[in-house]
Amino acid sequence: MPMKFLLSAAILLTTALLLSGCGDSQDQGNPGSEVANLKVYRHAMDQAPTSLDPVQAANVYANFIVLNAFDTLFSYKYLARPYELKTNLAAAWPEISADGLTYTIRIKQGVHYVDDPAFSGGRGRELVAEDFIYSLKRHFDPASRPQGAWLWSGRIVGLDEWKQAGSDYSAEIAGLRTLDDYTIQIKLIKPYPQLLFTLAMGYSAVVPREAVEHYGREFAIHPVGTGPFRLTSYDTSKVILERNPNFRQEPVDIEFEGYDPQRHGFSGVAAIDGLSPPLVDRLEINFIAEASARWSSFTKGDEVQYASIPNEQVDQVLASKRPVTLKPEYAEKYHFAAGIEAGFVFQTFNMDFPEFGYNEDPQRERRNKALRCAINKAYAWEQRNESFYIGLGKVFPGIIVPVAPEFDTNLSTESITRDLAGAKKLLADHGWTPENLPPLVYGTNSSVTARLMFEQFRAWMKELGYPTEKIILKRFATFGDISKAWKESRLPFVSKGWGLDFPDAENTLQLFYGPNGSPGSNDANYRNPEYDRLYELASTMLSSPQRTEIYHRMNRLLIDDCVSITGLARTRIYLWHKDVIAIPDREIVGGFFLRYVDIADTEQPAITGSVFR
Amino acid sequence: MNTVAITTVRRESLWSKAFYKFSRDRTGMISLVFVLFYMLIAFGVTLGWLATDWSDVQGGKWEGMSTTYWFGTNMIGQDIFSRAIYSTKTAFEVGLVVALIATAVGAVIGAISGFFSGTWIDEVLLWLMGVLDSIPFYLFVAAIVFAMQESPYAMHVAMISTFWTGSSRLVRGEVIKLRGLEYVEAAHAIGVSELGIIFRHILPNTTHILLVQATITFVAAIKSEVILSFLGLGVKDGMSWGLMIAESSQEVMAGFFNNFLAASVLMFGLVMAFNMFSDALQDALDPRKVS
Repeated sequence: MPMKFLLSAAILLTTALLLSGCGDSQDQGNPGSEVANLKVYRHAMDQAPTSLDPVQAANVYANFIVLNAFDTLFSYKYLARPYELKTNLAAAWPEISADGLTYTIRIKQGVHYVDDPAFSGGRGRELVAEDFIYSLKRHFDPASRPQGAWLWSGRIVGLDEWKQAGSDYSAEIAGLRTLDDYTIQIKLIKPYPQLLFTLAMGYSAVVPREAVEHYGREFAIHPVGTGPFRLTSYDTSKVILERNPNFRQEPVDIEFEGYDPQRHGFSGVAAIDGLSPPLVDRLEINFIAEASARWSSFTKGDEVQYASIPNEQVDQVLASKRPVTLKPEYAEKYHFAAGIEAGFVFQTFNMDFPEFGYNEDPQRERRNKALRCAINKAYAWEQRNESFYIGLGKVFPGIIVPVAPEFDTNLSTESITRDLAGAKKLLADHGWTPENLPPLVYGTNSSVTARLMFEQFRAWMKELGYPTEKIILKRFATFGDISKAWKESRLPFVSKGWGLDFPDAENTLQLFYGPNGSPGSNDANYRNPEYDRLYELASTMLSSPQRTEIYHRMNRLLIDDCVSITGLARTRIYLWHKDVIAIPDREIVGGFFLRYVDIADTEQPAITGSVFR
Repeated sequence: MNTVAITTVRRESLWSKAFYKFSRDRTGMISLVFVLFYMLIAFGVTLGWLATDWSDVQGGKWEGMSTTYWFGTNMIGQDIFSRAIYSTKTAFEVGLVVALIATAVGAVIGAISGFFSGTWIDEVLLWLMGVLDSIPFYLFVAAIVFAMQESPYAMHVAMISTFWTGSSRLVRGEVIKLRGLEYVEAAHAIGVSELGIIFRHILPNTTHILLVQATITFVAAIKSEVILSFLGLGVKDGMSWGLMIAESSQEVMAGFFNNFLAASVLMFGLVMAFNMFSDALQDALDPRKVS
């Protein structure tokens, strides 16, 4: 018996030793190992990107990686808010002709791609102006399956024609050419004040032609760029990027980046002044879908060093909501930042449905407008805010979001104030009864939260007098499925969110511009000649009080037509470990801040945190 | 003159014996009362007497237990008690529909298979049952539900498609036993058609098996409905204990357990009562024990 016991113990011990040997000692960061001495920053995101090819960088998840593996001509200052552009690959601000139609942009010399087998001899070659031309052309080549062409379509001379002619890369484009190896010239059809913003987006990141041709479709998982990091592994659970040894040396000027001791002092970011990014050796970006799992990974140790607070944990973590402060036990361990998102959530009617929108019968169309306005009046934004956004969202009228420079602070809040009696009167005055109200199909994804949102909406409509059985739930398995339904104009009522691509209200106003109707971004299929005229007028104007006034008029038109039930900008609360020196902010700038993240040798002193915006 | 004593012998059927035995089974009777109580609730909801406000938003977020809201309110202020009561109707509706149809289908196919055992008909039906049984249950159900997303009866179809095989196998075995009995041979001899023999003379003699199997299927259907609803594949527009438990997966992190407890306790009560009822029924109808 003792012999058997000893034998079993020996087998168990051997197995345990063997299994422990199977672990990745690098990932464990054991003291004494090579990686233990590296600076590693572990970030957490809720979803994995489906492609790392800039032409497909259509969401925040893809941009987060793309902006670190590739580079753009312009980018945003790390800390300045409101967001301010700065040069990145561009050597200086562009020279713009007097008519605003010709941009001449000089790019930096000596910028090299990461070493990769795609290049001759495996050594990354120098980035040249022709690479930018090629990268933009790819958006107009269907073979690339691009998603960003809407940014430049109808804007650059000859680009749309180039696509129509078959996307032949050897063919010249009059409005998109190089003057020499380091100078780009862009000629516009009409002034496009947002052009430089588009050149700071992941879509415009510069790629080398030989790498695209070398990897083909697999370029989506083999990014080869000039960014501060190079990709070493990528799967559905994690992306690992390592410092790009070829990255240009550009010391940080923290004052230039918008450093404000009052707002940023707590984070210790002043310490990176004079250092050349990237500041960590390795980035690990973990994709953890469940908020509770992310939170668990964040709080259990150094598994991930950044997370947002799940709604259900807010009362456990926050000492107060206004202003946002952490309880002492959390403040002791973590830095945090809270701010309104650069985007919003809203609902909109699809005006192509004659039951709610445009109708051949003018009288019915007037009644439809009354119906839309009544539904809007019955909508309880504050209740939604309390239920799903922990009461911290900012409810605002119209579609110009609070962080946009053109936000209208004087706009009446009538459209976001619940008025059930007024809503019922409106229905009665226009002959709507429970019997003749049209069925309203509410499309949503299959998550529990989305279902509860539907139930809340249906309950409000029941209070309005809408028969419960006429509010019909239509579920879609994935975001892709429901997005397709929007694009194909199959739903009369659309619930969605929108994040700003750049800090300009034009980015949300275009959501209701007539020519952008389905399958474009105008899911409402709103077609108002006056709105479209104002949009076209403003689209060529530089930022000015006159343009802002036009934006405000467009905003009021949308509110008056009750085409959309809007809106709410969510408050984001981010936490990060105190050994991480950073101000994380993925709004608009995507993953651009990651190049400035540093890891401290010792823990920072406890400070209660700050609101960053 | 001799006197002859005439004694009347009361003829007892399987059913009367079973009824007597069941009525003496205290556990069985208590469980039956519970099941009937749940059934009354389900009828009350169906007829619009109970839980009519299950979808209304009345209270605040996550209100505790009170005289107004016995189990508190959920994330959007709905009465958890009303939703739990309404879910009883969902469970009964799914359980009844699936149990009745799956058992009926299983009985017919099992009877045919058993009667023609040893022939190609039996081979084909056995192969079909084998194929269906070899597919992992929840994967199969999920596939059918996913394929029929638009239909509110996708879940019912999915469960019926898989649950009938159990009844079928049991009936097949019983029919194989019965078809060799003399009364079946007699029916053959007087020219009763094969279908007539199966459906008029054999199948009625498997009723005790079908009754027990239906109660087992009922419980399995309720449990499957809850699991499928939890996974987002079940109830489309309505309320279910599974949906309540899915909602609670977010709430328990915040220390709010009312949704979870209300759904779990009610489901546990029904499943437990039905299981005990099923056991008691099985004991009462078992010919080896009924004597």
